[in-house]
Parts: sequence; structure tokens; C-alpha cells
Amino acid sequence: MTSQAKAVLLENFDTQVKEHTSVKTAKPYWNPYLAGLGLGLVLLSAFVIMGRGLGASGAFSSVLSTGIQAIAPDHAGSNEYYSEYLGDGTRHPLKDWLVFEVLGVFVGGFLSGALAHRVKRTVEKGPRITTAKRLAFAFGGGALMGFGAKLARGCTSGQALTGGALLNVGSWAFMMAVFAGAYALAYFVRRQWQ
Amino acid sequence: MEQLMKFSISNWSANQKLAAIVGILGFFALFAGDPYQGSTATIDTRELGVLVQKEVDHVSPVELAEWIIQGRSDFRLLDLRASEEYAAYHIPTAENVSLAGLSEYPVERNEKIILYSDGGIHSAQAWFFLKAEKYPGVYILSGGLEEWKDAVLFPSLAENAGPAERAAFEKMNEVSKFFGGTAQTGSSQEKISPQVAMPKLDMPSTTAAPGMAKKKKKEGC
Amino acid sequence: MNAPFFKFGLFGDDVSLVVAFVIGIGFGFFLERAGFGSARKLAAQFYLGDLTVFKVMFTAIITAMIGLYYLSVIGLVDLSLVYISPTYIIPQTIGGLILGLGFVIGGYCPGTSCVAAATGRTDGIVFLLGVVAGIFVFGESFNLIKEFYSSSDLGQLTFPQLLGLPYGLLVFAVVLMALGGFAGAHWLEKKFGPKGIWSNS
Repeated sequence: MTSQAKAVLLENFDTQVKEHTSVKTAKPYWNPYLAGLGLGLVLLSAFVIMGRGLGASGAFSSVLSTGIQAIAPDHAGSNEYYSEYLGDGTRHPLKDWLVFEVLGVFVGGFLSGALAHRVKRTVEKGPRITTAKRLAFAFGGGALMGFGAKLARGCTSGQALTGGALLNVGSWAFMMAVFAGAYALAYFVRRQWQ
Repeated sequence: MEQLMKFSISNWSANQKLAAIVGILGFFALFAGDPYQGSTATIDTRELGVLVQKEVDHVSPVELAEWIIQGRSDFRLLDLRASEEYAAYHIPTAENVSLAGLSEYPVERNEKIILYSDGGIHSAQAWFFLKAEKYPGVYILSGGLEEWKDAVLFPSLAENAGPAERAAFEKMNEVSKFFGGTAQTGSSQEKISPQVAMPKLDMPSTTAAPGMAKKKKKEGC
Repeated sequence: MNAPFFKFGLFGDDVSLVVAFVIGIGFGFFLERAGFGSARKLAAQFYLGDLTVFKVMFTAIITAMIGLYYLSVIGLVDLSLVYISPTYIIPQTIGGLILGLGFVIGGYCPGTSCVAAATGRTDGIVFLLGVVAGIFVFGESFNLIKEFYSSSDLGQLTFPQLLGLPYGLLVFAVVLMALGGFAGAHWLEKKFGPKGIWSNS
């Protein structure tokens, strides 16, 4: 077999050994409808308590803008987009609702993973691709996502979930576009997953 | 019978039960009504701007006084102040309405509505609300109650007034007497103190108006 | 009615940050419960073998939608105070397409990548960095795309407003659609699961 196929095979074997010798086996995932119900109630509580929905990409923009400001304050100030997240100086840009919400997401995700013994250092990928390639795709996919999320003024949490529940026209259009784009490309990247 | 029992609810999976609950909730949404509790209105700002510029939105106190004397009943006069102020004095035939209660107050759309408050702010705000709800005949008493006092209740004549002004003043003298006020003549030209006693009301009470309001017609069949 | 509580001044900005944190914990918790810390599970949606993404998303949407609708109708919540982001139909659609591409390539979305990173997935961390890089590219090229970004502004637009139909009717319609979708997902998973289509090519 080719050396590349050998490399993939060896890596997969390695991973499988690690997985089988982990201390506790991971619990199965919840019924998706129950998980969705829980998620929906969290979203509803945001509506009722704050009068707003959830989000994620906005927090990343705040962090990035703050970082750029620390390194190159003039550039940040003169850039219309970053300045929006930096505000007018009366309030630290990281004291932002979304930033704190996303911190909570990290904590909540870890909590759930820990309780279900699903926390482990690993790389999620299909059997036919190397880790290096997977990480490259992860970065590239993330970059596309970041760009697209900013263009659409939101990501799946903010636009699809929140706007979907509010019957927001733009959000539903966004949601359809996301599924369309992903399904359209799925065939071409199937080796990564299957 | 046993075949039918297969479909009984106890045999439904958890997911199917969830789906049924959701389906029922969704179905009731068809009848549950409008979730927007407040009243919303759309405004044609250009149309309103034109109205304001043409100044067809005002009625002067003198005009209003004449209409009341003539006993005209084709208008509704709304006093937007607090109820204590209304009780102390109000323009005869006026009804007391608060800004918050305005949208629910029964007024027919074919009636002329005249709004007044102490000055012009609350009456202007109420004018805006009613225009936004597309009432056609809404007017502000220009100058409000202050102007009513100055022009109708206590009309004054300047010392060096000309003949036209004197004639007008004579007329206003009669008008002010009708409303229980007193005209101010030239020599005692001190500023009218705000403590001037407001005339006691013995005008026809406003009980007629609410009675009329009660028979709100339902339009259409 | 005195909800949304924040909009009625029940608490201030600083407390709202604590609220954000707690809500975020709930958000991340349920995302992980559903299995969204795993890119493989997320991406499987697009190969029709495991449609968990669709099920979770739409269950969440109809739960929040129904809850908000009924709370508003009873008068416990003032719906007009809940923020609706304005619709910029063209950039939102194009952005959505790009996001979809990124989703199937990267295997996460910004929210789920946080969950993945928190549960040890290296690719989740790398994806996060990618998102930041993507936003950076956007920010740097902002002057070029500014006009496109702000084009086709339809304002705050909901389907009841757009179609002139009662809100409750649309709630019903969305519920029907979701339930139908769930039935369809069930059928697709039976047919293509768990590996999905094209799994042998």
C-alpha cells in the first residue's frame, strides 16, 4: 500500500488503542429532541430575562478587536469595523454580554463533557484522512465561517436559533443558505468524514 | 379491538408524545391571538408634516369659546391634565382623559377632537397619537389653558389700543362674562397673577358626553 | 407585564454579564449533551446518516418560539421589547452560503467549536483560531465590502409582517414544518444511516 495509506492506518490504530484503554467509556448522547428542548428553554430564558437571544461570533469579534487595539491601537481605531466592537471607551470592550456568554459556553460544554466522560484530547476526523490535513481543514473551515458569520451578522446560534424562533425573515434565509452551502459541498469533502 | 389498542397513547414512544404536545400547542396558536400586547400604529410622516405646516391642526381659544357659546355639539373637547387639576377647573364641556388612556377612550372617528393641556406639550403628544391612529379631525387648542385664560377668561386691552382692538375687546368682554371670567382693563396692567381665582363652573355639566360615548357603534355587519 | 426583565430595568449591566455567563453555561451544556462537541457528529448531518443537527436546532427553535408566543399572548412578556436583528437579505444569504461551506469543511460552528475546545478536541481549538482569522480578514477588507455589507436593508422584518398573516398562524405552520421534518429525518436516517450516503465511494 502507499506510504500515505500506511500513515493513515497507523494513526487510526493508535487512536483506537487509546480509545479502548481510556479509563471510563463515554456515555451515549442524549435524545436529540430532549437536548433541543433544553437548548430551546435556555434560548427562551434569554428572551424573557434579557430581551435578546443567544450568539457566539460577536464575542470573537470583541476579543479580536481588543487584541488588535492592544497591539496596534491606531489601526484598530481607524478601522470602522473594529471600532464598532471597541465602543467609545466608556466601557471595556470585553465587558460584553456575548463575551461572558461564550465563556459560559466553554464552562457548560466542559461540565457536560466531564459528567459524561467525554472529555479527551483527540482530533475529530474520519478514517480516511490524516490529522494534519484535518487540522488544516479545521482552520480553513473556521476562517470561512468567521468571514461568513460577519457578513451575515451572526452565526448559527445568533441568527439561526435566535432569529428562527423570532420568525425573523433574514435569519430564516440565512439558515436555508447555510444548509444549502453545506450540502452542496458535502460530496467534495466526504473523505474528511467518512 | 386489540388492533386498535396498538394505537393507544400508552404505546407511544417518548418522542411521539413530545411531538403530540408540540403539535397541540402549535394548533392552539391558531386561536390564541396576537402576541403584541401594546397598540401599534403606522405613521405617514410626510402627511403629518404637511398638516403641521399648513397649520390646520390648531383651534384658537377664541374660536373654541364661540363654539361653546353657540352650543355646538359636533366636537369633543379633551382635557389631558391630571384629574385633580380637571376638578379644580376645566373648560366647560371638556372631558378628562389621560395620555395613557387615550387609545382606549371611546371617540368616534367622525367627530372633531380638540385637545388641550396647560401649555402645548401633552396636547401635542396626544395629537400625534390620535393622528397615528388615523383620526381625521384632531386639533390642538393653541396656547392651551394658559391661552384660554389670557384670551377668553381674562382678556386684556392695551392702553394704546386702536378702534379695531377695542371692538374685539368688547366682544371678548361678553364672552369672558359668559365663562365667569373678568376682563382686564388698561390701568390695572399688572401681570395677571397665577393665583387669580378661576371662575366657578356652572356651565352645563359634561354628563351628556359620556352617555353619548357609551353607544359605540360597531361598523360593518 | 414586566418581562423581558432587563428591558424593564430590573437589573443593571453588570448583573446582565452574570446572567450572560449563566445562560452561556446552559447553552454549552446542552450543546455538548447533544453531541455537538464532536465535528464528526456535526458533519454527519450533511451526509444524511445522522440528522441530529436538524433535530436539535429545530426542536430548540420551536420550543423557544412557542414559549415566547404564549408568554406574550398571556401578557407576561412584552414581545415588542425582544430584540430582532434587522434583515439585510443579500449579505445574509451570501454569508450563510459561505458559512455553510465553512461548516462542512471545518465541522463546527463558532458556538460548538467552543464546546469542542472545552472537551479537549484539538481540531476545535484550531477551528476557533480559524474563526478569528476569518474575522480578521473581514475586518481588514471591510472598506472594500462595506457597501455590500449594508445593502438590501429591510429593517426588522418578521414573517407575520412580511406575509401579513397572524403570528399564531405562522407558529402553527412552523410547528407543522418541524414535525414533518422530524418524520423525514427519521426516514432518511433509516435509509442512509449511520454512515451516510456516498460512504463507499
